[in-house]
Amino acid sequence: MMNWIVLSPEMWMLATAGLFLVRAMMRPDAGRNHVLALVTAAIAAGVALGGAGFNGDLFAGTYRVDLFSQFYKCLLAVGFFLVVSLCSDTKGVREELEAEFYLLLAVATLAMMMLVSSVHLLTIYITLELSSYSLYILVSLNRDRDRGIRAGLKYFLVGASASAVMLFGLALVYGTSGTAYLIEIMAALPALTGQAAFNLGLFLVLGGFFFKLAVFPFHVWAPDVYEGAAHPVAAYIATASKVAAVGILVRVAALGQAAYFVHVLAAMAIVSMTLGNLAAVAQQDFKRLLAYSSIAHGGYILIGILSMNTVGYAAATFYALSILIMKFTCFMVVVKVAVGNKNPSLSDLTGLHRRAPLMAMALMMALFGLAGIPPTIGFTGKLLLFTAAMSQGHFTLVLIAMINVVISLYYYLKVLRAAYLLEPADDAPPLRETLPLKALSIAMIAAMVILGLYPHHLIELTRRAAALLS
Amino acid sequence: MNLQYAPFPWLSSILLCCIGGLLTILLIPGHRHKEIKWVSAIYAGLTLVLSLNLFVIYDKAAGGFQFVERIPWVESLGIFYFNGVDGFSVPMLLLTGIVFFTAVLTMWELNHRVKEFFALLFLLVAGVFGLFMSLDLFFIFVWYDVSLFPMYLLIAIWGSTRKEYGAMKLTLYLLAGSALILPAIVYLVVQSGMHTFDLTALMRPGTFSPGQQNFIFLLFYIGFGILAGVWPFHTWSPVGHVAAPTGVSMIHAGVLMKIGAFGVLRLGMFLCPAGWQHWAPLMALLATVGIVYGVFVGLRQTDIKYVIGYSSVSHMGVVGLGLATVTVEGLNGAVFQMFAHGIMTALFFSAVGYIYDRTHTKAIDELGGLSHIMPLASGYLIIAALTGIGVPCLASFWAELTVFIAAFRVYPLYGVLAVSALVVSALFILRVVQRVCYGPPNQRLAHLEDVTFRLGLPRMILVTVIVIFGLFPSLMFEVIQTASLPLLNGLP
Repeated sequence: MMNWIVLSPEMWMLATAGLFLVRAMMRPDAGRNHVLALVTAAIAAGVALGGAGFNGDLFAGTYRVDLFSQFYKCLLAVGFFLVVSLCSDTKGVREELEAEFYLLLAVATLAMMMLVSSVHLLTIYITLELSSYSLYILVSLNRDRDRGIRAGLKYFLVGASASAVMLFGLALVYGTSGTAYLIEIMAALPALTGQAAFNLGLFLVLGGFFFKLAVFPFHVWAPDVYEGAAHPVAAYIATASKVAAVGILVRVAALGQAAYFVHVLAAMAIVSMTLGNLAAVAQQDFKRLLAYSSIAHGGYILIGILSMNTVGYAAATFYALSILIMKFTCFMVVVKVAVGNKNPSLSDLTGLHRRAPLMAMALMMALFGLAGIPPTIGFTGKLLLFTAAMSQGHFTLVLIAMINVVISLYYYLKVLRAAYLLEPADDAPPLRETLPLKALSIAMIAAMVILGLYPHHLIELTRRAAALLS
Repeated sequence: MNLQYAPFPWLSSILLCCIGGLLTILLIPGHRHKEIKWVSAIYAGLTLVLSLNLFVIYDKAAGGFQFVERIPWVESLGIFYFNGVDGFSVPMLLLTGIVFFTAVLTMWELNHRVKEFFALLFLLVAGVFGLFMSLDLFFIFVWYDVSLFPMYLLIAIWGSTRKEYGAMKLTLYLLAGSALILPAIVYLVVQSGMHTFDLTALMRPGTFSPGQQNFIFLLFYIGFGILAGVWPFHTWSPVGHVAAPTGVSMIHAGVLMKIGAFGVLRLGMFLCPAGWQHWAPLMALLATVGIVYGVFVGLRQTDIKYVIGYSSVSHMGVVGLGLATVTVEGLNGAVFQMFAHGIMTALFFSAVGYIYDRTHTKAIDELGGLSHIMPLASGYLIIAALTGIGVPCLASFWAELTVFIAAFRVYPLYGVLAVSALVVSALFILRVVQRVCYGPPNQRLAHLEDVTFRLGLPRMILVTVIVIFGLFPSLMFEVIQTASLPLLNGLP
């Protein structure tokens, strides 16, 4: 008898998706969609948090519910809620498709929730594709048809190639190991590690996740998709989608036991960080800048993963949470500052400290967090990643990562300069800090500082979760 | 190393004053400038009183780390909220208290974005205090960065000459330093095998091999040395000092550069004593080059703040030279010099700041005859200059004397070079004083008023401190000695 209650977060997301499917078919007045989405998303976050303690193996062992998966589901549900909370006024999405927008967002979240619980190659593939296809459509829903379709098409083409590569990898892994269950592959590892075909297959499988995480060489889509997608969609890709990618990457990367595996990951990490940061320096479009910084952060996360131990996986998990908070804060600013559906450039941020003091402060903390400066969660996350890598003897890698931190500081300071140093332009449209916006800003500042300075419980939690992987 | 736990959390209360000041300022509406300044002055005064109190009640007979507070913070990583002060940090806390309080008073006339200025200043000073008192590597690094990042905004918003360039250059240089420090800290923590960030545990002899110590000391030396203005990593410092507003220049040259030297001392020398001895000749060389270079570049400057900026490079070279001697005298002199230079340079910037606010120029040629127009204001400038060139009975004299005595014994050549350079520096500083304060008064400036009692208060406090420690240097040496003797005796 299966215990259905452990699936409650997923089932709630399914119900949400169903609700918006019905609304999309009925086409009621658009006004209430947002309130409805906000309420369901809040409940989803509540359900996910309530389900944090669930345990169980479902569907013939292809689906595992444990602390690890539930932790990620909480992050995804919270990310879903945060992104929905941004959709109140300017959505950049075609009005008549508002219900579809929430439907796809819910389906993507559902798929990602299932992705982090998957422990079978086929489940992983199916859930990954489900989330990707929802995102392809979401990107093309941009009110500016041309821009949206261009971005969506690019995302789709790169994504489809990545998934083809991944399928090939899945075939190789299955062919060499004779099983599709991660746990059985894990057991057969000593024999498999020496086989080139297995390792190649594993790399190709990971390629699918690297695509999601936008790590070099699978990063090319990120700047254009961030630029072309509606702001909340870009926010979702930068936050929830990254969290899910880290979750599944951590689960599968544990299979890579060959010695050269670490070197390849390290090389990818170094190129991602350096390329992302150097390219970001030249950006004037705030969303493109965030896209390149995402590429760099993908590299930082790889540093945790290539430690190949519980501490490293826990660090990557911690860092996923910190990215969720910091990137969301940046996109909150993007959504609020954007004029109409245009992408805000750095000069649109001028005088933010006068126009919205609290949001400017939140942005400052987020930027310092992304740059890895204490006392923010971004620093604590980086410290954990570096400690994990250092304990495996990767001193040079840590040094290169720190040099990258300095490079990244340059462009984060450029953003900060616009927001804090320059006075608002005379024709700047008014920016009202409503009560929900103030509350959101304060919550983000508090989360960044408190989790940054007192991460004790969170670290314990991530370590307990990561310990379940091995 | 003996630890004496605190009967009362003196150290945390200093930090609480900074955080409390910050939060109080954030709660005051931004247009109430007067209230904000009074709140700042009161909280800053409290930190001064508390740090002075520590200086007085520190038990010189017992030595070691006193007023220790230790709470587990992140147990899984071995991080403790762990504070304690020894003979090195007590003078630094006093220095921070004095410079902070006087900097707040110096900025009394500020009227542009007042709330943000003082809030950032409190954040910065919290970092400085925290760094000086912390005995946990995690917190030392956190406080280090907390004391750096407000700097960008403080200079870029309220600064003058090429402020954005200066702010960006300074921030990137100092953060580049932290890019070396963090890997070094993590390396030590991991390699020790103890999984603790506790400084007192990691500094036990034999924890690290000489090879590891040599390697890590170099990272600490360069990382913190950038902040200490060690040649050739000093180029951010004159630019940053010139660009910064007066109060920030005071804190920056007065206290923040000392953080650099203190970091080399606390992390480098405490954790890697073998590395210290290994690299001492290099430190001595760079320090001497810095002293000579600072003096000769300073000679060519036409902007008073640049003159002070380069003299800081030179004076911090004296600190470096003292540390490089690996002797008790050298160490005593170096730490005393950190204190004396901090006070002196704060006085210098404060005096110049007052003159700049009135005359709107820092160019030496455009000033002149100020002693006729503003006798008091130029008096402060002259006292600062005299302290800078090491006139007896003023604090810097003793510090430099001790360092040079030690240097003559260990590195005779460098000692001779450094002393001759300082003689030249006397020449150039006196030339500046002569051109600015004497000669025919510039008629364009004749209408300006002299400094009032209230605006002159911060400078009076600084002068008093300089004279007291100039007349009674043993007050300071006794305290420093309690830390330098055990450190030197513990060397292999």
